[in-house]
Amino acid sequence: MKKSLFNLIVLNFLIFFSAAHGQTPSDELMMPAKDACILLNYEFGGFEEYWEGSTLRDNETVAKVNRTTILPMVAIGIFDKLNLYVGVPYIITESTDPNGGKYKGVQGYQDLGLALKYQFINEEISSGEFSVLGTVGFSTPITNYLSDYMPYSLGFGAPELSYRGIFQYKMKSNIYFRTSLAYLWRGYTEIERDYYYNNGSYYSSFMDVPNAWNFEGVIGAWLMDNSLRMELNYWSLKSTSGDNIRAYNAPQPTNKVEMERVGLFVHYFVPSVEGLGFLAYHNRVVNGLNAPKMNSTGLGITYQFKFIK
Amino acid sequence: MKRQLSNIALILIATIFFTSCEKDLPTYLEYDSYAFSGNDETGGTWNPILINSGADLIIAAPNAVSSSEYQAELADMKEAMGQISDKQKNAVAYWTNNSVNRWNEIALELAAKYNLIPGPNPDGTYTLPNPANPAGPPPFPFAHPPYASRAFAYLSVAQFDGLISAWYYKYTYNRPAPYQQDESINYAYVPNDIPSYPSDAAVVATVAKEILTAMFPLEATYLENLKTEHLESLILSGGNVASDVTAGEKIGRDISALALARAATDGMKKAQVPKPVSDSIKNAAYARFGWQWDNLEIPPRPVGLTPLFGNVKMWNVANVADTRPIIPPSMDSAELLIDIDILKDYAANVTEERRRIANFWQDGLGTYTPPGHWNRFAKEFIVKYRMNPLRAARTFAYMNMAIMDGGISCWDAKYYYHYPRPIQRIEGFQTILGTPNFPSFTSGHSVFSAAGAEVLAYIFPQEEALVNQWAEEAAMSRVYGGIHWTFDATLGTKQGRDVARYTIDVARADGAD
Repeated sequence: MKKSLFNLIVLNFLIFFSAAHGQTPSDELMMPAKDACILLNYEFGGFEEYWEGSTLRDNETVAKVNRTTILPMVAIGIFDKLNLYVGVPYIITESTDPNGGKYKGVQGYQDLGLALKYQFINEEISSGEFSVLGTVGFSTPITNYLSDYMPYSLGFGAPELSYRGIFQYKMKSNIYFRTSLAYLWRGYTEIERDYYYNNGSYYSSFMDVPNAWNFEGVIGAWLMDNSLRMELNYWSLKSTSGDNIRAYNAPQPTNKVEMERVGLFVHYFVPSVEGLGFLAYHNRVVNGLNAPKMNSTGLGITYQFKFIK
Repeated sequence: MKRQLSNIALILIATIFFTSCEKDLPTYLEYDSYAFSGNDETGGTWNPILINSGADLIIAAPNAVSSSEYQAELADMKEAMGQISDKQKNAVAYWTNNSVNRWNEIALELAAKYNLIPGPNPDGTYTLPNPANPAGPPPFPFAHPPYASRAFAYLSVAQFDGLISAWYYKYTYNRPAPYQQDESINYAYVPNDIPSYPSDAAVVATVAKEILTAMFPLEATYLENLKTEHLESLILSGGNVASDVTAGEKIGRDISALALARAATDGMKKAQVPKPVSDSIKNAAYARFGWQWDNLEIPPRPVGLTPLFGNVKMWNVANVADTRPIIPPSMDSAELLIDIDILKDYAANVTEERRRIANFWQDGLGTYTPPGHWNRFAKEFIVKYRMNPLRAARTFAYMNMAIMDGGISCWDAKYYYHYPRPIQRIEGFQTILGTPNFPSFTSGHSVFSAAGAEVLAYIFPQEEALVNQWAEEAAMSRVYGGIHWTFDATLGTKQGRDVARYTIDVARADGAD
């Protein structure tokens, strides 16, 4: 049980940090009170094609856009049924050479993410175990990175509140199914110009970042005497409003974004070292609207310990 | 259970807090009908641009207010006002009593909508927008800054001339507005003593519809619908009867035809040249100076943007070469090497302030362009200083003539000198703004902005320091963005001011001061 706690943290970290590059956002597991866990994750992502509206295209102006994310995060067990997560990703973006645009990439800290997760139901039933959880997350930019500098911007530059429900069924065979659904409320992002076009003129230095729904479905298993967890996941994001990227034009934070992504995730807990784990994942965006066709690969290290004896 | 409840409470509180911050973002300048600072009773005697005098456009003498025809129109108007819907009320409020601003705003929006550069075809070629097939792809037009400056200039000049003519007839016939004759009519706007025949707003709407339809042919239906709504609102406001509107429409159509006849032969059609012509322009520059600008996009664009925009007929400058700046520094000169160091420093140290300035003035693809930005400032001053529609049209006309002349002068310099951009001269250089598809010297932003500021400073002397500071900041924004040399900006600013003087000299003599 303890080993799987690491997983919980990893699976949660990008619900609010970076929807485009997130791991699976949630699971059913709770860390006991007085436990803490530290994660350091490195992710390398990139895309050569993107959906302009619903049309998949390449663009030599930006060539291949690479995006590297380093995420330190800590998870704390406040109560057995209430966990807190805090993290801040550091992101580096750039185009590969040669490219036709000669744009300078960006690097810096993105958004501070906070989340509280509460376990409502966790019941043994005859064939396995059933859990229902809820997460409330909040994130907000902690640097003044420019959201209106796509595709290099570090994030969408607006506060986000997320409300997530999580349902999991785990069979006695150690195979489990999990699904979660979240509503992501996103605020305004402040930009550095006071006019923009969003299916019409806007005389404002604020852009409305569309709210979104996020769905996830997972099939996973515990293997090797519970020292290895593997998951196949499907993840999708769907904005509730927004405009399309215009022809051969840059995206902007007002865009209606849709993405469908599939991924593979493994987490290995070193049996000989108490609290230590390594994780790896690979995600591929397979369908989208106004979104990058991003492939990303992540590696991370986790360490769990009691912070109050 | 208790914890569950507190958790739910937290969610609710957070939801209420954040959703209460939701507000509507403005999509146009919000202002109400206002009292004009003056009526300009002699406005009908001012010198127009395209015609010799306001009397050159002909409308019939109106029926007397005592006539049965007029009384019937008045009754129709009152009946329509009695049946006004909420939607119509909103339209009346939207158009205000100075709709010159509104149509300018619509022009800016269309510029933003069409300011999209055509991308490459799969085989690496580029297709140019074609006015003979406006639907494209790519759609016509590509409303880049020279195109937009020209659209704004023709719109504003035709409105100004049309309003001079309207003023001429207003104060020739002196037919009072309906609400001035009949106290039972509740005028929707702040009352004034300006006679109502012909309707100035009908001139403004008709010109806008005619000129903008020619400039943005795919918007014909959209513009027709806006015009219909606007003309209807004139009657519903209690300010005009039908014959006021019809006479205004005639002036609008007639002056638009003259403006579009000028536009058809001003040389814009020849501004975008085929590759052999473009190459010969480039080769001539290389032979003259030993340098040439090259497009570095992938795939490369075979021709820069409108190489012969510098040949387009100017409004108030006889010979574009008279406004050409001095030769820029040679490729290995100490002056250029200093500039290279400055640009490298800006690129390596993107401060918050320089980034903000670069982005604020960027006015790039998908926006209303730098000429549009200055129109927006003009509109805000027009409301601040409560100009009547004639004064407002005059402001836009002179400013947009100066801006277009500035653009022509700038483009003459760009393709005469054919000077390389920083990304071409500095190996491995990267920018925070997109490098445009035309030579570097001088900076279009600098020239457009200085020309706009110069005219605004003439018309609004109280704002002189502010607009000059804006113009200089707009010029430097391109250097901070990494896409222009400092001398592109400083000499471009000087060029814009110089060109604007020609227009201001004309303005000073037009009878309005």
